[in-house]
Amino acid sequence: MAGNTSKAVPVLFQSMTYEPVATSSTATAQAWLDHHSRSVGLFINGKFVKPLDRQTCSILDSKGGTLCSTFCAVEDDICQCISSAVQGYKAWSDFLCSQRAKVLLRMVSALEQHGQCVSELCELCEATYSSSTLVRLLQYYSSWAQLRDSLIKNWTPVGVVAVVISDDCTLYSLMLKVLPALAMGNSVIAVPGRSTALPVLLLAQLFMGAGLAAGAFSVLTGSDVMLGVKVAQNSDISHVTFSGNKQHAVILCKATAGMGIPVSLSLSVGAVCPIIIFESADIHSAVDGVIEMAFKKKKKEVHLVLYVQESILESVVANLRLRMAGMKCVDLPSEKAKAQADAVVQKAQHQGAMLLQACVAPSSCSQYPPTVLCGMAPSSPCVVTPSPGPLLPLITFRSNAEAVTLGNHSPQGQAASIWTEDLTLALETAKSLSVGLVWVNSHSVYDPCLPVSGHRDSGTCTDGGQEGLYQFLRPSSFSLQRSYPVTLDYTKFGTAPSPPIVPDGALGSLKSYPHYVGGKACKSESGCCAVVQSLDGAGLLAYYPDGGQKDIRNATEAAIKVQPSWMKKSPSARAKSLHSLAKGLETKRQDIAEAINVQTGLSLEEANLEIELSISRLSDWAAYCDKVQGGTPPLLQSGCGLSFPEALGVVGIILPSKPPLLSMVTLLGAAIVTGNAVIMVPSQKYPLPALAFIQVLQSSDLPEGLVNIITGRRDPLTVALANHSVIKAIWYCGSTEGCQYLQYTCTSPLKTLRLFCQKDEDADYRGRDWTNPSVLEEMWRNAVQWKSVWIPTA
Amino acid sequence: MSARNPGTQFDLQWISRVRVNTPAVLRRAQSIQGQKVPRREYQAAWLLRAVTCIDLTTLAGDDTPSNVHRLCMKAIQPVQHELLEPLDMHDKGVTTAAVCVYPSRVADAVKSLRAANSSLPVASVATGFPAGQTPLETRLQEVRMAVADGASEIDIVINRTLALTGQWEALYDEIRQFREACGDAHMKTILATGELGTFAMVYKASLVAMMAGSDFIKTSTGKEAVNATYPVAIVMARAIREYFLATGYKVGFKPAGGIRTARESLVWLILIKEELGDDWLCSHLFRLGASSLLADIERQIYHHVTGQYAAYHDLPMA
Repeated sequence: MAGNTSKAVPVLFQSMTYEPVATSSTATAQAWLDHHSRSVGLFINGKFVKPLDRQTCSILDSKGGTLCSTFCAVEDDICQCISSAVQGYKAWSDFLCSQRAKVLLRMVSALEQHGQCVSELCELCEATYSSSTLVRLLQYYSSWAQLRDSLIKNWTPVGVVAVVISDDCTLYSLMLKVLPALAMGNSVIAVPGRSTALPVLLLAQLFMGAGLAAGAFSVLTGSDVMLGVKVAQNSDISHVTFSGNKQHAVILCKATAGMGIPVSLSLSVGAVCPIIIFESADIHSAVDGVIEMAFKKKKKEVHLVLYVQESILESVVANLRLRMAGMKCVDLPSEKAKAQADAVVQKAQHQGAMLLQACVAPSSCSQYPPTVLCGMAPSSPCVVTPSPGPLLPLITFRSNAEAVTLGNHSPQGQAASIWTEDLTLALETAKSLSVGLVWVNSHSVYDPCLPVSGHRDSGTCTDGGQEGLYQFLRPSSFSLQRSYPVTLDYTKFGTAPSPPIVPDGALGSLKSYPHYVGGKACKSESGCCAVVQSLDGAGLLAYYPDGGQKDIRNATEAAIKVQPSWMKKSPSARAKSLHSLAKGLETKRQDIAEAINVQTGLSLEEANLEIELSISRLSDWAAYCDKVQGGTPPLLQSGCGLSFPEALGVVGIILPSKPPLLSMVTLLGAAIVTGNAVIMVPSQKYPLPALAFIQVLQSSDLPEGLVNIITGRRDPLTVALANHSVIKAIWYCGSTEGCQYLQYTCTSPLKTLRLFCQKDEDADYRGRDWTNPSVLEEMWRNAVQWKSVWIPTA
Repeated sequence: MSARNPGTQFDLQWISRVRVNTPAVLRRAQSIQGQKVPRREYQAAWLLRAVTCIDLTTLAGDDTPSNVHRLCMKAIQPVQHELLEPLDMHDKGVTTAAVCVYPSRVADAVKSLRAANSSLPVASVATGFPAGQTPLETRLQEVRMAVADGASEIDIVINRTLALTGQWEALYDEIRQFREACGDAHMKTILATGELGTFAMVYKASLVAMMAGSDFIKTSTGKEAVNATYPVAIVMARAIREYFLATGYKVGFKPAGGIRTARESLVWLILIKEELGDDWLCSHLFRLGASSLLADIERQIYHHVTGQYAAYHDLPMA
C-alpha cells in the first residue's frame, strides 16, 4: 500500500479535503438477489411465488442499471394471497399474546443476523434504512403484543389488513403500519412502493423464519398504485391503511368508496413542515438543525419553510452563509427536477429574493446546490407550491403569536421544529401549532412510542404509541359490515328537490319547530319547511326546518368561532357544562319523553328509560372530561416526550334513527368532552326528540354555537357538510350511498370519516348496543387527534 | 494571515444574549464523532497537518533542562525523516507548532531551540497556572518574565472566581492587562471549561476572552478533572464564529488535555473544519495541546508508510 498513492499527500496536506465517500460492498445483497436469479417473486403464504406469464417490473439501482425484477401481481395472485392471509389470520390470531411477542423478538435476532444483507439491499434500492430504528420498532411492538390482552381489554384484531405504501415512502413508515398490525394479531398484506419492494420482500422472508404463521405477512408487488387499489377492493380485507403521498391516497379512497371498509391515511410525504427560530433560541444549534434537516438528508420527504424572528435575521443568515460555504451539491432525481428548482429560484430572485447558495449550480448534471431563499413571503410561489431540490424559503416574523399563525397557515400538519430556550414559549407554541409532531430544539426524531396524527391534510389516523394500535383493533362487541359500491353520480347526490308540501287543512294547526344554529333557535335560511309524518305514515305531526347548505355554513361559522375557547377550557369547566346538560334533560324529561313516544311509538315507560340512560350517559361523559389525557412516552434518547389528545375541531354528525335520544347524547358527548364543536343532523325520519332537545341546549351553559342542530333532508345536508372545509370530521350514520359519497368526496381537503351504514332505517345504529358503556372508549378515541412533543434534555 | 485580534470594548449586552442548548450541542458532538475519519493517504495528510498544529507540551514538577531539551528536539523533527520521505513531505518543514513549558523552563527551551537553529516558538503557561488563584500583580509579573525569557506565546488561565460569580467586566479588565503584559507575544486564554459548569458559561467566557484581545482561546489546562471535550469545543468554536461575524477578526482555538490518539486528532480536525471551516485548519488558528499524542500519530504514519505497526521503541522518543 505504501508509495503508490503517496504523491498526493502534500496536495492533501494543503487542501485538507475529505476523502470521497467510497461505495461500500454490496456482496451479500447481490448474493441474495443472485440466489433469486435476479427475479424476486411475490411473497405469498410464507414463501416466494413466481407465477408464470406475469409482467415484470425492473428495479433500478442508483446508477440506473437493472438490479433485478419483481412480478406485477394480477387478480389471481391477489386472490391467492388474500385467501392465504385469511388462513394466516386464523392461525396468527390464535397464537397467545406471549407467543406473538416472542416471534417479534425473534425477528430482532433474525434482523441482527442478516442486518448486513438488509442494509446493503436498502442501499442498492436507495431506501433509507437504519437497523437500530427497525430493531426499536420490533422491540416496541413486541411488548405491545405481549400485553395486548392485559392492557387493551374488549378489543380484538380487525382481520386482514392491507398496508399500501406509495413509491416515495420510507421503509420506516411502512413498518410503522405493518408491525403494530401484526402485533395486535392481524394478518398483513403489504403493497410496497418501488424503492421499498426488495427490502420488504427480504424482511418478509426473515420474519417468516422467525416463526410467523404462514400467510400472516404477505407482500405483493406491482407496477403502480393500482395494485394497492385492487387489493383494497377485495372483500376479505378488513382494513386498509395507507402511508405516502396525497395523490395516491385520493385514488385509493375513491376506488374503495362504498366498500364499507375503513381506510386510514398517513400522508407524511410532501407535507410542508415549518422550522421556527425564535429570538430566544440558541442560534448556532438552530442553524445546525436547519442545515441537517434541509440539506443533509438523502431523500426529501417533506418540504421545509424556515421562519425566523425579525430581530435575529441577520445573525441567522450570517451563520447559515458561513455554515453552507463549501457544502456540496445535492443529487436530484431527474433533470426535470433540476429545471424546476432552477425556475423556482429564478422566479424568487425576480421577486427580490436574496440567495444563500453553497456553490454555483452546475450546468450539466442533475445536481443542485443547497439554497436558502431569503426574503420570501407566504404568498411567494416557492412557498405556495414547494418544488423539489434543496431549496429552503426563509420568512421573517415579528412576534411569537405571528410565528404560530404563519406556521399554521398551511394545508398540511405533519410536523414542526421550533427553537427557543424559553420553556413557556416552547410549550405554548407546541400546543398551538396544528401538527402531529413538534420537535423542540431538535428535528427529525421519530419513535414508535410517540402517538402522531397527521393534522389537516396530513392524515386521518394515529400512528405510534398505544393510540396507534386502535387502527388495527375493533371493539369486541361489533363486527364490520361489508357493502358493495353502487353506481352513483357523485355530482347529483343529494340534489333531489324537496318534496312539495301540499296545502291541507290539517297543516295549519301543526306545531312548527325551529332548528338550532349558533345558539339560536331559528328557521332555515331558505325558509323552507318539512313535515314530520306520524308513525303509521298517514298523519302529520309537526313542521321542522328544511335546512340546507347555508344553514350548515352559518352553523360552521358559529362553531369554529367558539371551538378554540371551548377546547382551552379546563376539564372541570367542561364537566360542569355537561352536568348542566344532564340536569336540563332531567327537567325537560316530560316533553322529551312525549316526543320520543309520538315519534317512535315507544311507550312512555320505554321513553323514560331511554332518557334515564341518556342522563347517565351525559354524566359519564362529564366524568370523562379529565380522564381523556395524554402521557409522557419514554424514548430511547434522554429527554421529555409529551403526548396530547387534541380536539379535531368542528365535527359534523349525521345521527342514526334509533335510539334517537341516547345515540344523540352519546355522540354529542364524545365530541364536546374532547373539545370539539358539533353540527348535528337528526334523523330525517325521527327528528322530534332532537328538536325537543334544543330547549335543553338553550337552558344549558354550553357556549353558543358549540352544539348546532340542523334538520332537513339527510342527503343534501350530508353534501353540505362534505363540502365545507372547516369541518374536520364527519360521523355518518345513514345510507350506503351516503357512505360511498362521503368516502369519495372527503379527500380534498381530507376529513376524518367514521361511517356506519344503516341498511334499515329502523335498525339500531348498526346493531350497536348503545347501552353498553364500552362504546364510550371507541367514541372518544374517534373524537381526538394526537400530538406528540419531543423536548430533548441532556 | 489576517491581523491580530485587537479586542473590542466590553459589551455586557452581547454576553447576556448568549443561549446555548445543551442537548443540541451534545447531539452535534455525537454526529461529528460519528463521521467517518479520513483513511489511507487522506489520513496521512491529515495526521501530518495535525502534527503541525501540536503545541508539544511538558508541564510537570520534575521538568529539567534535559527533558525540555529532548522535547525541543522532537518538536523540530516530530516525524522521522525516513517516514516523511516516502510521502514526499520531508522538505515541507513539518515541525510542531510550538513547545509549551512552565515559565521557569522557558529559558531552557529557548536555549535548546536557538542551539538547533530553530525559530520554533516557545509557549509558556502563566498567570498562576493551573488554578489562577494568585494575586493579579504576581500573575502579571509572571507573564512579563516569561516574555522577557523569550517566550513568544503565553497561555494564560482566566480567573474562574470572576467568571463563576458573573463579574465579566472584571474578568475582561484582567485579561486586557495580561494582553498588555504579553506585548508582541501571542496570548492564548485558557478557560478551564471543566470548572465553568455550563456551556452558556463557556460561551460567555469565550466572548469575554476574545473581547479582551485573546489570539487564541484554549479549553483547559490539562489539570482539571474534565479537559478538552468535543461538546465544549463546539461551543467555543461557535463563539469564535460569532466573534468573527461581528468583528471580522479570526481568533484561534486550542483544545488541550487528554488528547492522546491519532484518531482523536482527526476528529478534532473534522470538528474545526465543520464548525469553523478550512481557514482554521492551520497552526495560526488551531493548536492541539498534547504530549503523548505525537507518538501515536507517528505510529500511524509508520503504519501508513510501511504497512506494519510500530512498537513505541521503534520510533524516536520525545
